[in-house]
Amino acid sequence: MPTRKDPRKNIAAGIAIVAFLLCAGLWPSPAAQAQTPAASPAGSLVYKEFVDEAGRTVRVPQPVQRIVSLAPSLTETIYALGLQDRLVGDTDFCDYPPDAQKKTKVGGAINPSLEQIAALRPDLVLVTKSLNLIQTVNALDRLGISSYGTDPHTVKDIVSSTERLAGVLGVPEAGATLGADLEHHLADLQQRLNGVPPRRVLFIVWSDPLISAGKNTFIADALRLAGATSIVDSSQDWPHMSLEEVVRLQPDFLVFAASHSDSGQNDFEILAARPGWRGLDAVRNRRFAIISDAVNRPAPRIVSAIEDLARQLHPEAFSAQPGDEKEKKIPSPAQPQAALRLLPSSSGDSALLEVCACAL
Amino acid sequence: MRPLTLSRLLAHCAILSAVLFVVVVIALKLGAVPVSLYGLGHDLLRVLFRQTSQLSSEYQLIIFDIRLPRILLGIFVGASLSVAGASFQALLRNPLADPYVLGVSSGAAVGAIIGLVIEPHLALSPAVAALLTPIGAFLGAALTVTAVYFLGLRQGQIDSGTLLLAGIITASFLQAIIMFFMSTLTGGNYRGMAFWMMGELSTPPQRIVSLILRFGFFLSAAAIYTTASDLNLLLAGEKEAMHLGVDVRRVRLVVYIAASLLTGLAVSVSGAIGYVGLLVPHVMRLLFGSDHRILLPTAAFGGAIAVVVADTLARTVVSPSELPVGAMTAIAGAPLFLYLMRRRLA
Amino acid sequence: MSSFARSPASAAARPIGDAGDFNSDIRLSVEQVSYAYSANPTQAPLFTLEATRFQARPGEIVAIVGPNACGKSTLLKLIAGSLEPLSGRVLLNGFVTHALPHRTRGQRIAMVQQESPLLFPSRAWEFVLQGRHPYGRTLRFETEEDILIARNALAQVGAEHLTDRFMDQISGGEKQRVILARALAQQPLLLLLDEPTLHLDIGAQVDLLETLRRLASANRYTVVVVTHELNLAGQYADQVALFQKGKCLRVGPPATVFQRELLEQVFQTPLTVELGSSGRPRVNMPSAK
Repeated sequence: MPTRKDPRKNIAAGIAIVAFLLCAGLWPSPAAQAQTPAASPAGSLVYKEFVDEAGRTVRVPQPVQRIVSLAPSLTETIYALGLQDRLVGDTDFCDYPPDAQKKTKVGGAINPSLEQIAALRPDLVLVTKSLNLIQTVNALDRLGISSYGTDPHTVKDIVSSTERLAGVLGVPEAGATLGADLEHHLADLQQRLNGVPPRRVLFIVWSDPLISAGKNTFIADALRLAGATSIVDSSQDWPHMSLEEVVRLQPDFLVFAASHSDSGQNDFEILAARPGWRGLDAVRNRRFAIISDAVNRPAPRIVSAIEDLARQLHPEAFSAQPGDEKEKKIPSPAQPQAALRLLPSSSGDSALLEVCACAL
Repeated sequence: MRPLTLSRLLAHCAILSAVLFVVVVIALKLGAVPVSLYGLGHDLLRVLFRQTSQLSSEYQLIIFDIRLPRILLGIFVGASLSVAGASFQALLRNPLADPYVLGVSSGAAVGAIIGLVIEPHLALSPAVAALLTPIGAFLGAALTVTAVYFLGLRQGQIDSGTLLLAGIITASFLQAIIMFFMSTLTGGNYRGMAFWMMGELSTPPQRIVSLILRFGFFLSAAAIYTTASDLNLLLAGEKEAMHLGVDVRRVRLVVYIAASLLTGLAVSVSGAIGYVGLLVPHVMRLLFGSDHRILLPTAAFGGAIAVVVADTLARTVVSPSELPVGAMTAIAGAPLFLYLMRRRLA
Repeated sequence: MSSFARSPASAAARPIGDAGDFNSDIRLSVEQVSYAYSANPTQAPLFTLEATRFQARPGEIVAIVGPNACGKSTLLKLIAGSLEPLSGRVLLNGFVTHALPHRTRGQRIAMVQQESPLLFPSRAWEFVLQGRHPYGRTLRFETEEDILIARNALAQVGAEHLTDRFMDQISGGEKQRVILARALAQQPLLLLLDEPTLHLDIGAQVDLLETLRRLASANRYTVVVVTHELNLAGQYADQVALFQKGKCLRVGPPATVFQRELLEQVFQTPLTVELGSSGRPRVNMPSAK
């Protein structure tokens, strides 16, 4: 039944449609040309192309003056390479070295604020495949911000990754030096542990539920280099272990990674008090090692954690060589006071090892 | 006696769009990076009058590349979810229904996880690989919707009670599959997936995805709107509606498909943002009444406003970190709803 | 109101036979309609309605009576066209009710039945306006005419004072009136009521039937009422159809249907029938011994 309201309704509908279409993304977007990088006064920038460890081709402006790091391990690496002055932003979780906490924060590693990153006008954003999201990388691409990704799976990878990164950032010499030093420490360690049977260990990521590190992680590789074999044979990265299985396998040592010696001690006590864990020799005999949580990060500092663990597991391989103590420090311009504070173990009693290692 | 008229409907919509406009302007201003709106307006005018060819790169990047797409995404996701929520509440004759009750979001999550898992095994260009999550999510949602439809049939017709049951059971089943997957996913993927499932707008979708979302929204919302007066009658009772000339079977089918499409698109793009589809229709009912001819458009506006506000809060409250949008919608929405409900009952 | 366009969508809805067959005096014609309902297609039907036949004119009230579960409601649904008969057909002014498109059916046939609980309670006027739904296009708002018709309907049932009240805040009897008003707003030819007197007190029951009587003759509705109240049926109906276990035992004016032996057989209880002065029968229970 046509009523006199009809033409008004049609007009209203028409206006509504037009208005919606306008806002629906037929919005003339000046952003359409924004594939070019944001911070470029025309012409003065040179680019070099690199292929990152995720296989992506990355155009890196030269020189790289402003870096944003989206992973704590990468932040540590930057400090280790002496490039901390060029680091303009990092994540909330970047806490080592302490100076990193003073940098401008861009949010979490998996949910950084794109705005904040963009506002810092970085030349390059560093990401790592195991922590950061591909969506973040894609979003940065769309904003015209270059991002370089690392993806180390073994300790050797960590060293070579560091060297490659140094090359990308324009300081290949520092990278080479650092790499060589790390290799030296590792080689030394290999020599000391040559012929020493590895200890069977369980590396505990989380105790309830019981989560360990899989055999393909760099943590497992680090354990190997420290003269240990992980009893975990899973190809998952973070497998859940059943206590039964662990009791059956009877590791020689439990290994905890902790940011403070106290919390590591605490972790063990809590674990030991739980029912069922008494079934483990390692628990009854209090055979556990605590190393710094540097082992969780694929950064240069992992080497010192490896050494620390080796000392705890094989003290006999390290005794009687006091002169080496000084050499054990990883040269790192940002950490003049870096120290592995080792409490002397009650010598001769390898069954009672309570060593506290506090990495700053 | 004050029946709904076109002018009243348009007036309400005009008010709500004004509110939305104000909210958008505020959202453009707030963020991790301070932006002067006066400066922006000034620059915009200059561009319009061709005095400069481009905005200063600061505005361009922050406003147009980051904030505005995010706000627009929030508008369409919010509108889609509330219209879908209102529709499902009518279709299932249940005020507790939300867009996810029939398992759409769980299906989308499974699809997204599968996309995530197979992505490394396919050699795809980055642009296509980035599409894998939304495509996987949408396919998962579509398959779930289809399965639930067939499970919900009774004597060849959609039956509200059976449909609801079928949906809940399917959702539970899919949740179990998700839990299985999550326990086997590796580190970065796991975290990304957990975040996606909570619902987040921080990743700007690709242009084609945005366009599909917007087009899909208008198409589905229009389809549902054509059944608006039928839905009014359906809520009074199915038998009665049939005797009053409603083609119940057709209406149910149209609403089911269109509302599922709305939900599927929204979830594929932004994960499962909760509470919007449930609370916004109720708030709008309290404000404007249960007549679907006004409820549906106001719910769309209301949802857009709610999500943009929640998203703005989510990205400014603990800046530069971000909270999940779904948490903010619940925190803000529930008290508001309680207040309105008490007022109505008083 | 009595003119109606032939809807092109339903070929089967054209008048059957040639003009000679079509008796313009008869509005509703139930022709040998039967039905069977079984939960499982492979099993025997749980319930059958055997071939039933009767006719009704404009202005007539037909009462369908019988014990519980004898098929009264099923017959009503068949007449309304919401169920398809197993055999036979129901004709409304020559059109098969089941084959009518939904909208047209809503304009011809109005059903008054026990309401499902309302999910979001509306006001009485909103409720009555729903009766105008079959007359609107897809996206429509109510016109002045619709509003007038709705007001009129409320007035005709004496419920104007309830116009702005919420449906969940009025009494059962009042609700019944508003539901009837909604049916009237449909401007139907056929008014069907399924046990409308169930929850009403005797005063309200009489009230309702009086209203139906008045409306039927004033607006020329054909009214079909399913009821338990034998005496109301006897008092107000022009025809009564008596059912037992799916079989129509007798159709006719109340006096011919309310025969003592027949009633006692159907209802399995001693009864007496006396004729009133107007010729209308009254059914009584004999005094207790």
